[in-house]
Amino acid sequence: MTARRKKQLTSWGLTSLTYAVLIVMLSPILWLIASSLQTRGQLASGDYNLLHPTVSAFKQMWESVDFGKYLTNSLIICTAAALLATAFAASAGYALARLPFRGQKAFSVGIVGTQLVPGSMFLLPVFLGFIWLKQNTPIHLFDTHIGMILIYTAFFTPVAIWFMRYFFLAIPPELEEAAMVDGCTRFGAFWRVVLPSAAPGLAATFVYAFLLAWDELLFVTALTASRAETIPVGIHNFIGNYSEEYAQLMAAGVVSTIPVMLAFFATQRWLVQGLTAGAVKG
Amino acid sequence: MSTHSITPAQNAAPPDLPPTDVPPTGRGRGRGRRRSRRSGRNLAYWLIAPALVFMVLVHLIPSAAGVALSFKNLNTFTFSQLFGAPWTGFKNYDAILFDSANPLHSGFVDAARNTVIYTAATVTGTLAGGLGIALLLARQFPGRRLVRTLMLAPYVVPSFVVAVLWGFMWQSDSGIINKVLVDYTGILHDRPTWLLGHNSLLAIIIPSIWRGIPLAMLIFLAGLETMPRELHEAAAIDGAGPWRRFRYITLPLLRPLIAVQLLFGVIYSTYQFTIPYVMLGNNPGPDADLIMTLIVRQSFSNNLIGFGAAASTLLMLVMLIWVAVWFRAFRRDLEAS
Repeated sequence: MTARRKKQLTSWGLTSLTYAVLIVMLSPILWLIASSLQTRGQLASGDYNLLHPTVSAFKQMWESVDFGKYLTNSLIICTAAALLATAFAASAGYALARLPFRGQKAFSVGIVGTQLVPGSMFLLPVFLGFIWLKQNTPIHLFDTHIGMILIYTAFFTPVAIWFMRYFFLAIPPELEEAAMVDGCTRFGAFWRVVLPSAAPGLAATFVYAFLLAWDELLFVTALTASRAETIPVGIHNFIGNYSEEYAQLMAAGVVSTIPVMLAFFATQRWLVQGLTAGAVKG
Repeated sequence: MSTHSITPAQNAAPPDLPPTDVPPTGRGRGRGRRRSRRSGRNLAYWLIAPALVFMVLVHLIPSAAGVALSFKNLNTFTFSQLFGAPWTGFKNYDAILFDSANPLHSGFVDAARNTVIYTAATVTGTLAGGLGIALLLARQFPGRRLVRTLMLAPYVVPSFVVAVLWGFMWQSDSGIINKVLVDYTGILHDRPTWLLGHNSLLAIIIPSIWRGIPLAMLIFLAGLETMPRELHEAAAIDGAGPWRRFRYITLPLLRPLIAVQLLFGVIYSTYQFTIPYVMLGNNPGPDADLIMTLIVRQSFSNNLIGFGAAASTLLMLVMLIWVAVWFRAFRRDLEAS
């Protein structure tokens, strides 16, 4: 065997291996989709009929639990929290990227430091605080959209700041310098020139915060009771009530994955930059 | 960063330079710069204010209150007093750490052991898998862009869906995993029970790795793509095989990326709650209970809020120690990058 032929074979082998790994990585997702399109009986017996899919599980799931309620709650809470977190992050991230200020280092360390605190650590006081507010004041945060939005905004603002800082650093400073020469104030330059050119970064940050909020279970389990419950709580309740209804459970899984999949792949290009920038550039 | 460099540059001027060498316009310009710098600084404070207020209100104050709660006797009987529950000193800590007659103590020891195993296995598996796939994807081959995009899919499946899906796949009788392992390939002879007993820790580790791999892959791939090709080419000419090139060129250059992912991977895995809670339920038993599931169960099902706060504080202390250890181990890499 010549050296060239050997090299070709290796290359072919590695490519096949890559595709094999891809299939293994994707197979659970394909199994999720396939199972959601079968009946309960087919899932129990294993006689899948992939040529004759049925959406009956989706219909049943929608009726047996009030899935529409959970979906609406998730959409409202996650959208509002992600918007607020992105807005706060855009403003704080710009300050970190461009305007040196006293205490900058402390602020940066604080942002990373928030990640060190276990969720349960501040969940317990927040839980007690919400109950106290409910008992002693007219402010109702327990089991309300507002309460969850406040929590998630605070929760995901630190990571969002880190994202936005990176996107601002990637914008050439000459852009705002030119705007300031033309008579813009620093804030005017930020508002009219920098923010519009950071639009992809804003979108990516929004999607990332949305993804994180969509996936959050610990806080929403503890801080809601019935009205403001989101999809993860709905699914957890469903398991408790209908533990053997796997077709419906898979259908619920598909429905709760679609929105985040769409959002992720629509902004993938910028989101990937934000996700890797932190690790690669330090 | 341009304004930032002004002061150091001025300080760096040779000290024997007479002050008259400063051009006459320098003072005026300096004052103007200083004013714009001060206004920039004021603007900076305005810009960070909203985020700061939120972080202080929802992160800092509650975290401090969490530490305070750990010194309180807050349980079912005192729950109605909320923050006014009686102080109890180090009793919660004592019960967790040293009181071997207390069931909370043995529960905590089991959960701590499981958490260490879960975190070590998940982080190792995620980094190894991510690096392996990144190496495969760093080559040129037909369909590379599409494969890279599709590889990200597991990362986008929400954790609670991951838990539900794998919980279904792990089913002993009807689950696809036992079907493949026992019925189709015959690798195993009897059907293991995955979601109970000593297999259950593995049942949460594998899905966690599966979901974590795409992010690790992305980070390693970004590192591999910025790696200078010349090093590899020069080493290949000198006769270094692929393994040696990987061991002595690729791996050392990826060290900073491994360091960062280790730091956050350990924290993230230790605080993982959704996957174990949804897959194994509120009480997974001594074989798979983790610190986080233990804290949540004792705090909310059994109303042992003081215990939960003390365990959370201990958990945070352990993470602080981990950061210190990490910093010592990888300080050189941080300076190099």
